[in-house]
Amino acid sequence: MKHSADVIIVGGGIIGCAAAYYLAKRGVSVLVLEGSSYIGNGGSSRNGGGVRQSGRDPRELPLAMYGIQKLWSTLSEELEVDCEYHQDGNLRLGKTPEHLEILSGLADRARACGLDVKMISGDEVRTINPYLSREVIGASWCPTDGHANPLTTTLGYYKQARKMGVCFLTEQKVTKLKKIKGKLRQVITSTDVFEADTVIVAAGLDSRPILATVNIDIPMQSVMLEGLVTEAQAPMFNQMLGTAEADFYGHQTKHGSFVFGGTLGLEGFTKDNGTPISNSLAASSTCRGIIKYFPALKHAKIVRTWAGWMDLCADKVPVISPVEEVPGLIVACGFSGHGFGIAPAVGYNLAQLVTEGRTDVDLHELQYNRFHAKS
Amino acid sequence: MNSINDRSINIGEYIPAPDDDMLICRCEEITKGEIRRAVHDGMFTLTEIRRYLRTGMGLCQGQTCSKLVKSIVARELQVSPDKLEPATSRAPMRPIEMCILANERKEEA
Amino acid sequence: MKRYDLIVVGAGPAGLSAAIEAAKLKMNVIVFDENEKPGGQLFKQIHKFFGSKEHKAKIRGFKIGQDLLKEAEELGVTVCLNAVVSGMYMDKELTVKINNQIHHVKGDSIIIATGAAENMVTFEGWTLPGVIGAGAAQTMMNLHGIRPGQKVFMLGTGNVGLVVSYQLLQAGCEVVALADAAPRIGGYGVHASKVARCGVPFYTSHTIVKAEGDTQVTGVTIAEIDNKFQFIPGTEKHFDADTICIAVGLSPMSQLLKMAGCQMEDNPKRGGQVPIVDACGQTSIEGIFAAGDVEGIEEASSAMIGGRICGIAAAHFLGYMDDAAFEQQYEIHQQALSGLRQGMFAPENRGKILTKTEENIDISANLLEKGYLDDSEIEKYPGVTHTIGVHPVIECSQNIPCNPCQNACPKHCIKIGEKITSLPAVDETAQCIGCGMCVASCSGQAIFLVDEACDETYASVMLPYEFLPLPKAGDTGIALGRDGSPCCEAEVISVKSSPAFDHTHLLTMKVPKQYAMKARFFRKEA
Repeated sequence: MKHSADVIIVGGGIIGCAAAYYLAKRGVSVLVLEGSSYIGNGGSSRNGGGVRQSGRDPRELPLAMYGIQKLWSTLSEELEVDCEYHQDGNLRLGKTPEHLEILSGLADRARACGLDVKMISGDEVRTINPYLSREVIGASWCPTDGHANPLTTTLGYYKQARKMGVCFLTEQKVTKLKKIKGKLRQVITSTDVFEADTVIVAAGLDSRPILATVNIDIPMQSVMLEGLVTEAQAPMFNQMLGTAEADFYGHQTKHGSFVFGGTLGLEGFTKDNGTPISNSLAASSTCRGIIKYFPALKHAKIVRTWAGWMDLCADKVPVISPVEEVPGLIVACGFSGHGFGIAPAVGYNLAQLVTEGRTDVDLHELQYNRFHAKS
Repeated sequence: MNSINDRSINIGEYIPAPDDDMLICRCEEITKGEIRRAVHDGMFTLTEIRRYLRTGMGLCQGQTCSKLVKSIVARELQVSPDKLEPATSRAPMRPIEMCILANERKEEA
Repeated sequence: MKRYDLIVVGAGPAGLSAAIEAAKLKMNVIVFDENEKPGGQLFKQIHKFFGSKEHKAKIRGFKIGQDLLKEAEELGVTVCLNAVVSGMYMDKELTVKINNQIHHVKGDSIIIATGAAENMVTFEGWTLPGVIGAGAAQTMMNLHGIRPGQKVFMLGTGNVGLVVSYQLLQAGCEVVALADAAPRIGGYGVHASKVARCGVPFYTSHTIVKAEGDTQVTGVTIAEIDNKFQFIPGTEKHFDADTICIAVGLSPMSQLLKMAGCQMEDNPKRGGQVPIVDACGQTSIEGIFAAGDVEGIEEASSAMIGGRICGIAAAHFLGYMDDAAFEQQYEIHQQALSGLRQGMFAPENRGKILTKTEENIDISANLLEKGYLDDSEIEKYPGVTHTIGVHPVIECSQNIPCNPCQNACPKHCIKIGEKITSLPAVDETAQCIGCGMCVASCSGQAIFLVDEACDETYASVMLPYEFLPLPKAGDTGIALGRDGSPCCEAEVISVKSSPAFDHTHLLTMKVPKQYAMKARFFRKEA
């Protein structure tokens, strides 16, 4: 078993797997330590699959645009797995004038960053997607947005990275990071000690206790989100859907199932038994929401529900940054429930950061020290 | 450490077998060969196989195929099947129409 | 939210038994079951059960189901049918789909008794219409009155495979053969013998190569396998068949327990994913119990006792039963359970190869491989004597916990003794009166009344008969041997039916003297 590498990545989610892949492509030796038994076990496997730019905070929008312009369209080919990427647009729906106000605010800010997104009327919405109910009075429309399959994408990065020699170890729960002579050098788990020149911590919520061992803190909150999936339906539409209040989102997958996520109103306050067990009220609540938007789906059967924790960062955008005080440490966490769509771009830029000390996308607004004392 | 936690262990090359085209997951129409190849792609756990291929993700939620998949994966990894943890169980235990799920009985005040 | 003292999921033998015990103690109990009828698998079990009186031995499964339901009803247990428990969440909350609604309910205690599902095996053509589970075949026949096919091939010789094969024969199907990948028949020898004497061949160390047919099953090819489960070339055998029944074991349906976060283990001896439980069936979550097949695959008899133990444990947990009463009840049930868990088929003997009975008699290899005792082996067993006049011949050669025959004989001709697994012996000093009570009482249909010389040339053989149409006195036909091959001509002397025999008819036939110890079944001439 391998115990050292140029780079150790803590966390085998999509961020870790993508970074491992792009690093390996650049000839860097990489070791990935995953705490659970499974690759891609956290939010990477539990999200709604959105690959969108619209609705994003301007601080992370450049990453989203970069990924869609440069990486997503060729990703299936590159990973030799069907990522089921569709670029058929994103409708962000509104049912009230307040919703439309939120949406046009988001659209204005995105346009200022160069994104093609506009407000459309309820009838225009139904021209694009005739299944939507009349309760929808308008939407923001971003034709370059889309969706993909988070499961195959995450595992595709893993598969390809592994093929290129990246070493993945599961059930290696990192208990401690250790500096040697002022530089981060060791990654210690309950059973082993690993060494590397650079350590990327991309362990979602678990990043917080790990980073605490080198006295770094990223303010994150655990929030449980829930998803559900229908049995396969005849093909209906290819757009990604969301809402102004982000209370519901979803799309139809390649095999026909609809994957939906929804909110119950208790996010951040639910209880669990150590695993992300669904709340008993969530599926019903989400179904009521979906039926209002899509009456045609009311007889579709739900075959599975699930839940997952997101690592909600205090200001709702991730931290992607080297840590000055701990040379050799790079942090990539706090993706706040919308990390999947930007994961390829994040992985790619992390690889650049390690090998070139620079990135294509300007990440300065995502630095770790934005929560520090302001001078 | 469980040997399958090291995803770089050598499990040999994928060798095609005459029964590779046999259906294993009927709901999602996944064959034995696809499962075997997935193991060689690094999917060492039933959870990963399920997420990668969709075995057990259909209407029966793995009621029929989970043991079958397990034995195929175990054989490919050359480990005992009881080393492989089954995938998580999730509600609903039976498929339920959305309009029924949406219709919760009101609690008497 | 509606709150119960106890919620039981599954109205099968374990769940109903648990509910009954709790209701006896005035607990507020509800039982949910997703089916339209209660009873779980019991109403498909038309054969007589094994065990002793306390285990409801010699009573047919469906009757046990009726009795359980009646008892539950009398105690005021609410059995809510067509109720799908769709999830088990935090704080012992269940979501239940009833009609077109989702109900949220909580139990101060919950007993999961969801049973098991059938395993599948794969072979070329396994997805063809006509390949079905043995349990499905049983449902079609015994619940819906539908014959699953005309010519049926059975894979698997555990008790399910054997019992269902016999039921298929009773339903008028032709069972073309049984096969098992194991080198030995897995179920009770007496169940196998019932099938073998009807002329059905057994193929041990054989499994299915392929199901034949383009759009549905038209036949099956099997072949012998070596000890590495590889087919031995040249050993292929073909059978015409329109149905292939699969009886290769059951898997616990433990998903609700796993979802709730109960600690689980993969235990092949218990059939797969099962919860880790204590002696009362309590899981790692206090107040959540598991009873019956979901907690480990066993017979319905043990599931009922396991259910009762869970029921009193839930009562004890909630203060409906004091320590002393609980201890006392627990002891009684535990003893009944250990009574069932002994003998050759006891859980601890699973997978072991036994060669001797408890009496130190060789176990018949023929029985294990072909399903019947060889004519030469029969003399070794204590139930076989050659007393003058009519006398019982008990072809019971495996130590299983079962003793109704001992109590059935009004003249005390049959002795089992204290140990319930002992082979029944015939007391030659006691006088058999030929009443046939023992023949009807044997759940394994292994007792015959034989008069080896009722006159100079003929012997009479009384055998248990459970087929329709019933032959009549004077009918002539062929007597079949234990292996199902024709031995000689036979004439029916009498067919006795009585409520006391509980649908086992006693057919007495006349055969040439030399076949007294060979002829064991009657087939009417076409």
